[in-house]
Amino acid sequence: MVKFLKPNKAVIVLQGRYAGKKAVIVRTFDEGTRERPYGHCLVAGIKKYPSKVIKKDSAKKTAKKSRVKAFIKLVNYQHLMPTRYTLDVDLKDAVAPDVLHAKDKKVTALKETKKRLEERFKTGKNRWFFTKLRF
Amino acid sequence: MVAAKKTKKTHESINNRLALVMKSGKYTLGYKTVLKSLRSSKGKMIIIANNCPPLRKSEIEYYAMLAKVVVHHYNGNNVDLGTACGKYYRVCCLSIIDPGDSDIIKTLSGEQ
Repeated sequence: MVKFLKPNKAVIVLQGRYAGKKAVIVRTFDEGTRERPYGHCLVAGIKKYPSKVIKKDSAKKTAKKSRVKAFIKLVNYQHLMPTRYTLDVDLKDAVAPDVLHAKDKKVTALKETKKRLEERFKTGKNRWFFTKLRF
Repeated sequence: MVAAKKTKKTHESINNRLALVMKSGKYTLGYKTVLKSLRSSKGKMIIIANNCPPLRKSEIEYYAMLAKVVVHHYNGNNVDLGTACGKYYRVCCLSIIDPGDSDIIKTLSGEQ
């Protein structure tokens, strides 16, 4: 009876090219829109997870290994598995629903998302979110 | 020990309460609609049959944990649950949206 598909919820994408990747809900559209008459949400996820960084790595190698590749997608609720984790990264200003219509806007949004996710990864918080789901 | 032996009486009373929900309340039957009702926070209680596949059972329980909804494991398989709902088909899981005149939610959440 508690709504759990809310912004900042960590979810796992179940279908499509990004199946098995973790994502965070940025914006929900519970009632749907004209183009998508079903409940869906805008998620920002990790396309390529950062590799494991070890103490032996040089600064250059650490920087290279900590890179994150992000994706932004509108996903049907049915194709998501919600988790008990949240990721409070403020992506609302970077990622807006109109971003997906124009290529150049999408590129800037992805760059911004990538930057914010990398920052969060480097702090060492939300470790679950940045580890690859093994299946 | 927690209700190790489900007495016939409580089982019958669950069936009676379920019948009352079918008559007077709102419910959905089936896995897909149960998940939909949980996502939209409309479901108030979930009942799962005992021969539900374990992966599906854990998935429904996880969703219910996120939504803070009571899950009741019905003492019977999907055939029995379908009969208890008054249907001529098997029902593996069902979601009660509005109990109507029944007090099933109060009694079963009181137990747990």
